[in-house]
Amino acid sequence: MTAEKTIVCRCEEVTLGTIQDTVQTYCCSSREVKLRTRAGMGYCGGRTCRHVIDRVVAEITKEPIKDEVQLSYRSPIRPATFAVLGGGKHDNES
Amino acid sequence: MTMRVDNHPVLGKQTDRKQVTIYFNGKPYEAYEGDTVASAMLAQGIYALRQHEVSGKERGIYCNIGHCYECRVKLEKRKVVRACITPIYNGMEIGSLTGFDERGE
Amino acid sequence: MKLWNLLIIGAGPAGLNAAIAAAEEGLKVKVIDEFTKVGGRLLGQLHQESKDNWWNGIEVANRLHEQAVHLGVKIECGVSVYDLEQAEFGWKAYTSQGMEKTDKLLLATGATEVPTPIPGWTIPGVMSIGAAQVMGNVHRVKPGNTCVIIGANVLSIAIANELKLCGVNVKEIIIPQANANLSDNGTPEKVMESFMRLTHMAPTILLRQAGKFATFIHPSFAVKFYPKNGIKLFDIPIKIKTAATEILGESKVTGVKTVNVRPNGEIIPNTEKITKADFVCIAGGLAPLSELAALSGCVFKYVRELGGHVPIHSERMETNVENLFVAGNITGVENAKIAMAQGTVAGLTIASEINGNKLQMESLIEKAVAAVRKERDEALIQFQPNIAEARDLIYQEFELEDRNMERPKRSIS
Repeated sequence: MTAEKTIVCRCEEVTLGTIQDTVQTYCCSSREVKLRTRAGMGYCGGRTCRHVIDRVVAEITKEPIKDEVQLSYRSPIRPATFAVLGGGKHDNES
Repeated sequence: MTMRVDNHPVLGKQTDRKQVTIYFNGKPYEAYEGDTVASAMLAQGIYALRQHEVSGKERGIYCNIGHCYECRVKLEKRKVVRACITPIYNGMEIGSLTGFDERGE
Repeated sequence: MKLWNLLIIGAGPAGLNAAIAAAEEGLKVKVIDEFTKVGGRLLGQLHQESKDNWWNGIEVANRLHEQAVHLGVKIECGVSVYDLEQAEFGWKAYTSQGMEKTDKLLLATGATEVPTPIPGWTIPGVMSIGAAQVMGNVHRVKPGNTCVIIGANVLSIAIANELKLCGVNVKEIIIPQANANLSDNGTPEKVMESFMRLTHMAPTILLRQAGKFATFIHPSFAVKFYPKNGIKLFDIPIKIKTAATEILGESKVTGVKTVNVRPNGEIIPNTEKITKADFVCIAGGLAPLSELAALSGCVFKYVRELGGHVPIHSERMETNVENLFVAGNITGVENAKIAMAQGTVAGLTIASEINGNKLQMESLIEKAVAAVRKERDEALIQFQPNIAEARDLIYQEFELEDRNMERPKRSIS
């Protein structure tokens, strides 16, 4: 089955099949999909797969994508070391 | 066969770039000033930059502008950087992140 | 620490033009960007606009960069922003290079590419179409000698030609296999529909070859006559009846498995084929990159025509959050010229607030707003239909928010 072989969230290697099953079983929102499967919860912060997750959920639940961002963003929106968070400088990132 | 586009029909010629050496997983590679780690490695035909922490599957650049974090590599001893937005310098040492034990700090 | 009048996040067409407009009005401006070079998505752009006129994004970026520096704008690359916080004076931005303080904050973070997941798309050598564009045009490195592009849209066709100019053999542009409607571009009919909206390319080249149709035909009809082996544009076959089912390879891409499909996306049995390639591009379109707006408490609206969730804003680029402004593709996906014009509006609006001369600036701002509308009307390519209407909807929402709501302030902790 293609859906089982199609990775949606590259960071956490969550497949389309897993996401579809989760939405079907729990009839849930993108946010719940994230919490149940870890899709969108990885290193990139869901920047890459969030639009796909929203679409899959909308398609299955037949509900239009909401105005409110379901897969919320939390700070820091880039991985940062404690040194940077503490106000220190770093060349580029972590 | 070089992967460098030194002569471009519209953008023109690219000359006078200073050559430097960078190290990827201990091996030396030629690169040019102005390269990012990603462009230098791709020019050398290196596509795989890291392995996925859990599955161990190899990964390379995906978005090339810092959004997806797929190309993150180890820089020197302990930093983790995105290869696509990190400029190279002479003698730079880059390494692949390979598994759970070497996950970025 | 220096207090800037205006901090701009994103040194693309919108951010640079905003910096220029604001600095011309005397503001102390700083622009930061995560990339190694100034210009944002401008840097990759290279297309022929008329017989002897090329849109060379690098030249445009260099010109704007010089102009900004000349006006005293401070520009820093390689800086990532990871959090924002409202303060008495305006905003604090936490970056990889320390904290910045500013009266006004402009988010000009542009757009991000929307992927189309396909089995095998995590194999090294599979990259977004924008990634290949930057590799070739900005870093001047070919990602490989041969390539297959998955996703047939304006952007992928334009970049296919750019890759060809870099010496890449683009074997074919195909569509992704229709799968749970992951994108609008999974069926030949939908792709045809979007092609027919392209004001300059589609009717002339595509339809002329697909048969001598009258102007008013339905996509479902046009697609029937679309040749199975594709239509060539820039000598690159665009096969909207061929779909990718899997990308092949282990530690490096070797090719793409394809099938032929019916207009509704249904697979035609026994048509499986493998096209070899050094690298594969995924072209799923663009969506506004609005994470910083979300962090700072902006109200959002999902607008398909604009590419996804956009922070509600006025035509003068104000958001519903105090001292926070937006310009460029974060407000909706459109071309670089429109982003530039929006940047000017934002720069002037912000300058009028800082300088407290809104009345004197009124006609300048009105002119800048009119210039955005003009660019939109004259755009060769509309990424989506009905953009102008969608924009008006956002502006109306802003008025409602502004009138009905106490402006939400983010707690200062």
